[in-house]
Order: sequence, then C-alpha cells, then structure tokens
Amino acid sequence: MIHDADVLIIGGGVTGCGVLRDLALRGIRAILVDRGDLNSGASGGNHGLLHSGGRYAANDTETAAECRIEGGILERMAPQAIDDCGGLFVAVEGDDTGFVERFGAHCAAAGIDCEPLDVDDLRRLEPAISDRAIAAYAVPDATVDPFRLTIEQVADARRLAESLFLPHTEIVGFDIDGGRVRAARCRDTRTGEAVTIRARQFVNAAGAWSMAVARLAGCDDVRVLWSKGTLVIANTRLTRRVVNRLRLPGDGDILVPGGTVSILGTTSDTIAGLDVIRPTPEEVDRNIEEGRALIPALAHTRFIRAFAGVRPLVLPSGGDGDGRKASRGFTLFDHLDQGLDNFATIAGGKLTTFRLMAERIADLVAARLGNHEPCRTATEPLPALERLSWTEPGHSARAWIAARNPADAILCECEMVPKSTVDAVLESAPGAEPQMPLRAIGVRSRIGKGTCQGSFCAIRVTSHLYDRGTYGGREGLGLMRDFLAERYKGTRPVLWGAQMPQAELAETLHCGLLGLDLIDHHGQDGEPQ
Amino acid sequence: MNPSQASTAIDFKAVADRLLPAGSSYDSCLACGLCSSGCPASGLEGMDPRRFIRMAMLGLDAELTSTPWIWTCTQCKRCAQVCPMNIDVSVLVGYARSQWPDERKPSGIVRSCKAQMLSDSTSAMGVSPEDFVEIVEETAEELRRSDDRFAHIAVPIDRKGAFFFINQNSREPAAEPEEMRPLWKVLDHVGADWTYGSSGWAAENFCMFAGDDAAWKAMVEKRVEAVDALGCKVWINTECGHSFYTLWKGVERFGLKPNFDYASLVTYYAQWIREGKLPVNADWNTRGIKFTLQDPCQLVRKSIGDEAADDLRFVAKTLVGEANFVDMQPCRSANYCCGGGGGFLQAGMKELRHAYGKRKFDQIAATEAAYVLTPCHNCHSQMEDLAHHYGGTYRVVHFWTLICLSLGILGPDERKYLGPDLQDVGLPQ
Repeated sequence: MIHDADVLIIGGGVTGCGVLRDLALRGIRAILVDRGDLNSGASGGNHGLLHSGGRYAANDTETAAECRIEGGILERMAPQAIDDCGGLFVAVEGDDTGFVERFGAHCAAAGIDCEPLDVDDLRRLEPAISDRAIAAYAVPDATVDPFRLTIEQVADARRLAESLFLPHTEIVGFDIDGGRVRAARCRDTRTGEAVTIRARQFVNAAGAWSMAVARLAGCDDVRVLWSKGTLVIANTRLTRRVVNRLRLPGDGDILVPGGTVSILGTTSDTIAGLDVIRPTPEEVDRNIEEGRALIPALAHTRFIRAFAGVRPLVLPSGGDGDGRKASRGFTLFDHLDQGLDNFATIAGGKLTTFRLMAERIADLVAARLGNHEPCRTATEPLPALERLSWTEPGHSARAWIAARNPADAILCECEMVPKSTVDAVLESAPGAEPQMPLRAIGVRSRIGKGTCQGSFCAIRVTSHLYDRGTYGGREGLGLMRDFLAERYKGTRPVLWGAQMPQAELAETLHCGLLGLDLIDHHGQDGEPQ
Repeated sequence: MNPSQASTAIDFKAVADRLLPAGSSYDSCLACGLCSSGCPASGLEGMDPRRFIRMAMLGLDAELTSTPWIWTCTQCKRCAQVCPMNIDVSVLVGYARSQWPDERKPSGIVRSCKAQMLSDSTSAMGVSPEDFVEIVEETAEELRRSDDRFAHIAVPIDRKGAFFFINQNSREPAAEPEEMRPLWKVLDHVGADWTYGSSGWAAENFCMFAGDDAAWKAMVEKRVEAVDALGCKVWINTECGHSFYTLWKGVERFGLKPNFDYASLVTYYAQWIREGKLPVNADWNTRGIKFTLQDPCQLVRKSIGDEAADDLRFVAKTLVGEANFVDMQPCRSANYCCGGGGGFLQAGMKELRHAYGKRKFDQIAATEAAYVLTPCHNCHSQMEDLAHHYGGTYRVVHFWTLICLSLGILGPDERKYLGPDLQDVGLPQ
C-alpha cells in the first residue's frame, strides 16, 4: 500500500499528535504513524501531571518557567482534558530544611505562583497527608488526561485537513535520494504488509525511539538517555490535589489524582535498551516505601496496577549518566549537518511542554514547505468532542444513566462502559479500523482500566465484537489474550491484598473457563504448557 | 426521579468506609458479580448490588442518592452472604433510605412507621391497646363458647411473671381475629406459661424499612420496656420475620439491655415436638399433598442462621411427612428473598415487586408443591400475591394452621388459607 502526504510524522505520542494538529491548523495535511498505537510510549506511561514548574524550580529554572507558561496555555486551550486541582509541595520530618527555605525563592525566579501553607491548614485541606509534615507550599499544579489530548488532537487534525493516523505501522527504512528523504518504508505490524508513505517533509517525534528512527535516516546526531519510570495506581483517589515531596526529585515523591484514582511515582532508572519495558515489584516497593512518608495510607491502600514509561532525555554531545540530573528540556534537530534538508527530529521535553515542542518543529517544517501561517495552537482551543470523551472516568457511566436505555447493556462493570460507548469508539475514534483490537478500544475508553483490570470486560467486549461482526474467526480470542497479557504486565507487580484474589479470579476466568492459555498471540491453537 | 432532585449527595464510599467492618470496604470489591447474580433486585431500575458499589467507586453519588432502586432492594443480605470480600451493600441501602426526605419516601412505609408511633401498641395498623385487649377478649370468648374442648382456654394479657411474652402481628386482630385462635390452641396444648402485653405487643417494625433509626430504636425500646415491666423470661416472636430481626438487631445496634431472652416461635415449635408436648404427625396427609418451605431471610440468613432452617425443616417434615416435603433450590441461608421484605409490600411499587418475585415464583413452581409453609407474614402475603399475579395454584399457609390440623383441633373457620382439599380433614366427627 502507498500513501501520499505533505508531511509524515513518526510517533503517535502527545508530541506527534500535537505536530499533526499544529500543521493542520496551518492547512498542511499530514500522516501520523505509530508502530503501536496512540500514546504507546511515555505519553501513555506517565503521571498525567501538568507541572506548575515547582518540581524543576530548584535545579532547572528554564524548564520550570516553560512548564509554568505551557501549563497555563493548555488550561486555556484544552480545559476538557484538565483537572485544575492544584498542587502541594510538602516536606516531612527529616527532609532538608535548607531546601524548604530556598523553595519559595526558586519558584519566584521561575515566575511560579507559590504560597506557603500552615501545616494545620495543610492537614485540613488534605487529611491523608502525614502528621509528620513540617512545611508546605501551594502551587498551581493540575492534571491532564493524555489520552483525551491525543485523541482530540488527531480528531481535530482530521477535521481541519483530513490528516490521517495509521496505527501499528512501523518504520523499517527510508528511501533517501539527493539529500532528501523521498519515502518511508513501513511494515504493518499486525498483518506484516509493506506500506510506503511518500511525503515532502518527515518529522521524527518517536520519543524513546527517536534515536533509532534518526539512525534509519542515517542521522547520528540524536542521543537519547532512556530513563525508565515506574508508577503505581491506587484503587481510590487519596488526595484532592497533586502532592509533591518538597525535596530534590527522588523516587515515589509525587502522588497525582487521576479522576477516581491516585497515581504514585515515579522511579528513575537508566536502561540500556527498549526491548522489555515492564514495571517490577522492586520498583513498586521503592515508590511505596518513599511515598508512605508523605501519605501514610499508601502503606495499606489497594493498588490495581503498575505501569512503566521511558523518558527520552536528550543528552548534550559528550554528556552522560544520571537521568535525574539530565535536562527535562527538549531539542530540535534540523539534521542539516547530517546531509538531509527535509527530515527533522524533536526529542526530550515533557508532557507539559509538548505543545511548545510541536510548535517549534512545525514552524521549521512549515517554513520548509513555504507555508508562512503562524502557529495557532496557543490561541485556537482544542474542540472538546463529546463522542470522544470516553477516556474520562465516570463519563460513560453518567451518559448511560441519563439515557435510561435498558437495551444498551453495560459491558465493563467497573467503569460502567456500555455497548454504545464501544460502538462509538469503533465507529468514530481516531485509529478506528475493522477488526479493532481490544487494546485499541481500551486506549480510547475506560475498558479494562477499573478494579478488575479487564477480567470481565475483556470477555464481554470480545463477545460483543463477535456479535456485531467485528471479529469472525479466531482472531478475536488472540486479541483478547494480547489485551489480558498487557493488563497482567501491570497487575503482576502489585499482587497482594485484594489484588491477589482478583488475579486468582481472572486466572480462573481466562484459563479455567475460556482456555485462553492455549491460544497463541495470533489466535491459533498453541501447544499446552 | 433524576439526580438533580437529590438535595445533598451522600459520599457513599466514605460512608461505607465508616459503616462496614475493616477490610470489607467498597475498595476491596473484585467486581466478580456474585452479589448481582444472587440478587432478585438485579436489573430493576437499571441497578444491581455490584453496580451500586461501582457507582460509589466512580463517585456517582448524586445518582445513587436518588435512585429509587434502594426501595426495591429488600436488604435481604444475600449479596453479603456470597461476597468473597465480605461487602454488605444492604447497610448502605439502609443509609440511603435514611437520607431521603420523608415526603419522597414510599408513603406506605412511612405511614406504617408513623402508625406505630401513635400508641403504646407499636402497631403498624394503628390498633390501639384498648382495641387489642377488646378484640382478643371477644375472640377468646367466642372460642370458649363455640368449642367445648376450649371452654376454659386462657388468653392472658399483661400477666406479670409469665415465662413467655408472645407478640402478635397486627393483621390478625385488625382483619382476621379467628387466625389468632390456632396459636392460642397450640400454647394451651403444650401448657405454656405465657402472656400478651397490652403495650409493645405488635409484631411489625416498618421504621427500620423507612430508614428511620430513631423511630426503629423507639419501637424496640418500647417493646423491651413492655416485656421487662411484666418480668417475662423469654420474648417469643410469632410467625413473622422482620419483627424478630428488628428487635434482635436493634438491641445490639442501639445498645439496649433487656432482662429477657428472645426466641423465634419456630424454635419452640421444634422444642415442644421433641419434648412430646406437641404430638403432631403427618397421618392426616393421606393424599400425599406436597409442601415446600420459604425460609424468611430475616429469621434465617440475617439472624439465627441455619439452626433456624433446621428447626423449620424438622417441624415441617414432622407435620407433612418426609416424603411430602420438597425443598426449594437454593434454600436455607442461600434462599432467595421473595420480595415481600424491606417494606416492598407497603411501598406501592407493585410492578417492580412482581418482577422481583418472579424468581421466587419460579422456584416454588419448580417444586410442584401445593402449599408453601412460611413463618413470616410478609413472605406469606407476597407469595400469595405472586401466585395470583403469575397464575400459580399453590397456597401459602401458617405453621399454626397445620399444627392444629394435625392435632385435630383446627376449627372449620380457621381454614381460610387451606384449599378445598383440606377443608374437611381433621374435623371432629
């Protein structure tokens, strides 16, 4: 298959999606590809924290100020994806009091609004915080639903310029001729089919994989340090606000509310490769051990899953080593010195600063195409699409209750996702396709995200997909197994307390009842173990 | 009703954390759905017990605060019985009921509770102490006149120092006083040292169903006072489920200190049979009429447990013959609520109540029994109504009727719940 577009963007994370929409607002049609799906990398493996900048105020004033400005823009441009819950920085007994004293000045230097809080007031605001807290500041942190951000950006780019997103499309090489990339040679990772995408400009926004993509184009200038971060999700929301430990960044020192849950993180460990990225029990333990000093309830709260992402930290040439010390800033590579004039890479940065990253590379690409429209992502609000807001906890549930349609059966009981939501995703979500995998439906809704982590809804949604003819043969079983294996990757490191019987129940359902352990990844019968 | 009508939404998760025992908060729900699978109210108003928990976890408090489903849940605790994580939804249903303003609660339940507050009787049908005494005395006098065998039967009221204080469901004095006579005959037959009270005599408590804790407490206090005032040793609850539960549970919940023990009449039926004081048998059942048994949730699953279920079966099998007894499946502590409990009968939600009861109707039909025995007035009324609604041919009968039938002392006008097949059995020649 061959596709043509003005621009090919590689990487369906929040930055790649941001570039897609930025270009569309300038009238430029692009194709976005990802070897997996939307937010398969760091964009889906993070806290969902919209930093006020306080986190970086002490050691990276520039990033801190960038966070402050970009966070404010996003709150105006995409309020539907943001919970403006506020944040706290809290020190507990034993923390460095010198750091506490300097914090206000650091924030002031980065222009961050930072209010000292009385410790009694703090405990009244957030009763879950330790009674050993000694100092606190309030900052304008917020949270963001990165899935809603990417989905709505892709949908808006489709509306504006008929831009296109192709999931499970992996770059295998580039056709380069006369100092220009002519086409990207791709492979559909589901079907194995070869896909060629011809474009005038090529954007590498592949995050942790950007170094590999650049090398496929013969560019050796992108050097990325992979810093793996593991986070863990509590079954309930423990605090109203974001709670940061008031100290130099370390493991397990941020607790971020996400709708009905809380997310604790993160670790930071430099890794050598990207083959296996899964959270480990040791990393989970480290987060909880550190986090409980701030929020004692973390010691006995129920966690439903852990997940890991890889921060792509850009190394300056000659730099090395520590992920905590590496800059959270980003770098734009125009690759002119690599002998290419239509290939560019944007790497590093943060979820909070993705819009600015997209603006920088879109400016370059638009100029190279002779398009002089200004960037409009800081002034043109991202349309909130009611039909695509299924990633918001409780949204499907409220819509279902209001509709009072008994024929619209609930498929996912934990998050109360009815058939009609699954149908809406299949019909109109970006990246929707025939034989849509369960994982892709999960990315675009709350399917599989609740307490049971897909134990029941995987079966019910798959049954529904067979009923409506989405699946016909055995492929649906294989896709269900893939989905459950991916969920298990997250539940395995938190198997204690209530999550242990939950996993036993899941095993009984999936292996005992359905025999999924005998199905291989392509829906074919495997050898019994 | 819609969410916007809810004045203040309840924080269900926080209330569950407070009211449920440690380790069984909503947070530990596995979403397995065992609760919903065993709940006859599943599907009514788009709800079921699991959904109740999930909605609380998703923070849909306004929707939960206003759902009329809480009045279709009979608080039978079958969900709690099967929950692997020991979560009890009925506790939060009771709490939600308490938060509805009286004027929006089903008026029949509120009215019944208010009637109980009217006099010392604590009668949901508004029978005053004076009327009760008069009806009992008149009915007893009629019995003495009409049957020589009972010419000297005593029906004591307010007799100090009696061993047993026996309560009385209001339905009989108010609507069918002749139905009191079989019980008196049984008590006479075993030589029980018993009394009624003119105060606190009524065997119903709709205040619990109304979610009115203060009134529930007041009713239990009144009854405890009445029994203690007469110095009785044992309070026997008549053939009624919830009036036993509301006292049994109320004493614990409100920290009361009664100076008497409490028991179900069924326990004593069984004891008197074992002691030879009630020489009943199934000789009368020459036609092999089949009987099944409804375990009242309030008496079995919710309070006494399988001990009560054992006694019920012992009494029933002795009365009808082992071969003529067919249990429902499931039964005992796992029995399905019939839908007569929780104030449902008084709630004015007839279609929903019939839908709820369909499972019970099917269960009874599957036994092919001609009669259902049950020691519970609400079960009795609901199962009769279900037979009427779904075209069933079974009848529902009190234990006291069959005991007197077996003893040959059941009068011809004490047979309103028996079919034509039993109108002439055991009558004096």
